[in-house]
Amino acid sequence: MAITEADVRHVAMLARLALTDEQVGALTAELGALLGHIDELQHLDLEGVQPTAHPLAMTNRTRADVVVPGLSREDALRNAPDTDGTAFVVPAITGGGDAS
Amino acid sequence: MGKDRLLDVLERYEAVIGLEIHTEITAANTKMFCGCPVAFGGEPNTRVCPVCLGMPGALPVPNEAAIEWTVLAGLATDCDIALWSQFHRKQYFYPDMPKDYQISQYDLPFCSNGMVDVEVDGPGVAERLDLDGDVVADGPVPVVEDGGYRVPIGITRIHLEEDTGKMVHVGGSEGRIAGATHSLVDFNRAGTPLMELVSEPDIRTPEEARRFAQKLRSIWLVLGVSDCSMEEGSMRVDGNVSIRARGQVEFGTKTEIKNMNSFKALHDALAYEIVRQADLLDAGEAVVQETRHWDATARRTSGLRSKEEAHDYRYFPEPDMVPFSFEPEWIASLAAQLPELPDARRDRYIAEYALPKADAAMLAADSETGRYFDATVEITGADRAKQAANWMLGDLAALLNAEGIAIGDARVTPAMLAELIGLVEDGTISGKQAKQVFAEAAETGDAPGAIVEARGMKQVSDTGAIEAAVAAVLEANPAEVESYRAGKTSVIGFFVGQVMREMRGQGNPAVVNEVLRRMLG
Repeated sequence: MAITEADVRHVAMLARLALTDEQVGALTAELGALLGHIDELQHLDLEGVQPTAHPLAMTNRTRADVVVPGLSREDALRNAPDTDGTAFVVPAITGGGDAS
Repeated sequence: MGKDRLLDVLERYEAVIGLEIHTEITAANTKMFCGCPVAFGGEPNTRVCPVCLGMPGALPVPNEAAIEWTVLAGLATDCDIALWSQFHRKQYFYPDMPKDYQISQYDLPFCSNGMVDVEVDGPGVAERLDLDGDVVADGPVPVVEDGGYRVPIGITRIHLEEDTGKMVHVGGSEGRIAGATHSLVDFNRAGTPLMELVSEPDIRTPEEARRFAQKLRSIWLVLGVSDCSMEEGSMRVDGNVSIRARGQVEFGTKTEIKNMNSFKALHDALAYEIVRQADLLDAGEAVVQETRHWDATARRTSGLRSKEEAHDYRYFPEPDMVPFSFEPEWIASLAAQLPELPDARRDRYIAEYALPKADAAMLAADSETGRYFDATVEITGADRAKQAANWMLGDLAALLNAEGIAIGDARVTPAMLAELIGLVEDGTISGKQAKQVFAEAAETGDAPGAIVEARGMKQVSDTGAIEAAVAAVLEANPAEVESYRAGKTSVIGFFVGQVMREMRGQGNPAVVNEVLRRMLG
């Protein structure tokens, strides 16, 4: 499965990365090499092999439903580029997002 | 758009509807992946921590109670519970989601393949045009029953995810995105456990969609998983709708409708959208696959004007969490905790008390109402269950509605209602007097017996006293007596009114009638 420059630009758009044409060219080659490696797996007979859900052989790690103290609002907002003292202030949304 | 337009369109087109229902697990004390409290509103950004703010290095740990609630919800809707499941990351950018991905579930959700029965009665039945079976449906086949029909609606899956924060858009009009200069983000809600239920495209009418959502709300309320407030957004319904010519098998192009903030809005938005799509097809145009918003004031849907929607979420297994392996014994132990669900309770009321189905369904729709009814009937006995139901669905429901209170907060307790029913049944007071007693009890919280005593309201059934009153009335109205005896028996109503007035409303109406007829005859 060969990766094209169009694929790279699409993924860059999804990840909100502004790439130069040179970067697109370089990344197409690099990602192509990576996917080529993954491609080898496609040739193996994996019938009946469970996908690896997690590298650790553990399951069912949860926590009890008990409240623990969080951050003060002052601390929560401390590193924000912009706040009004109560909320994070973000630029007006011009579309391209999603909500569910 | 009138209702007739919808019915006219449905003559020619069949609608295919699937719903996505998001429900916050408000029963949980804490958020999905951190120990911040779950609550509604409050001062912005006061229930946050590094995990729900998506700070680098913060590690999410799943809330075991939220998982149990989701499995219970699945068991209550006939879902299969996965023995092997896990969380995935869903990537997209929006300022209300600080990690730039949402922890959700993808191909291994906790619950799948469920079903609920939806009953439709009343005017909404008219929207279903294939009840007589002359049109072949490829979805579940409706079963006609007393005054309506029942249809099973499939549930594809119920998965667990985290809710987003809330945004307030500033600078535009009415907090809308359009024209806003900037937005304020509050992450109090971010990370709240959120169940997403996806239905099969089994729904064929807006009324079925409404009933399906109402049935689920009723089940969630009885389970206690959520307060299911559509107003506060703890239950949110989105719909996918397409239409196809009657008899056609292939699905048409669908649109997704959002912002339906009430059951009425759900029905009206889907009805509007069906008609809109039909108008397009009739004009030879195509339906565009897009997300549309329902505007309840303008009563129409409009496109979101977003550029081509890239639903490319690049899901991958959440590396910060290990998978879940559920033992069948654990699932069985949860199943054993399920309360009596609305359908079972309704059927019990029909079987034990012979209540009309619609009445039984209303009493069984939430636990508090069901418990109130059960407590009342426990005192009155099963043979007076009908009266208890009538009071609850009549005067009591009107009172709760007017005062905007829950049935558990009503001043008239089950014991008081049972006492009131007893006073009517043993002839102490008339039905009319009982309404006054009820109103006073609701006002003061006094026991009905005490009110009857204090007001001297006791109904008079003593024949001697009634005969005296009748005699006085007959003597005072010789002309009416004449016309009665001349065959105009309808004046009996006039005499009853006069006698009751004479007795200050305390005469037993049945005895008054009987004595009047005897003394006039």
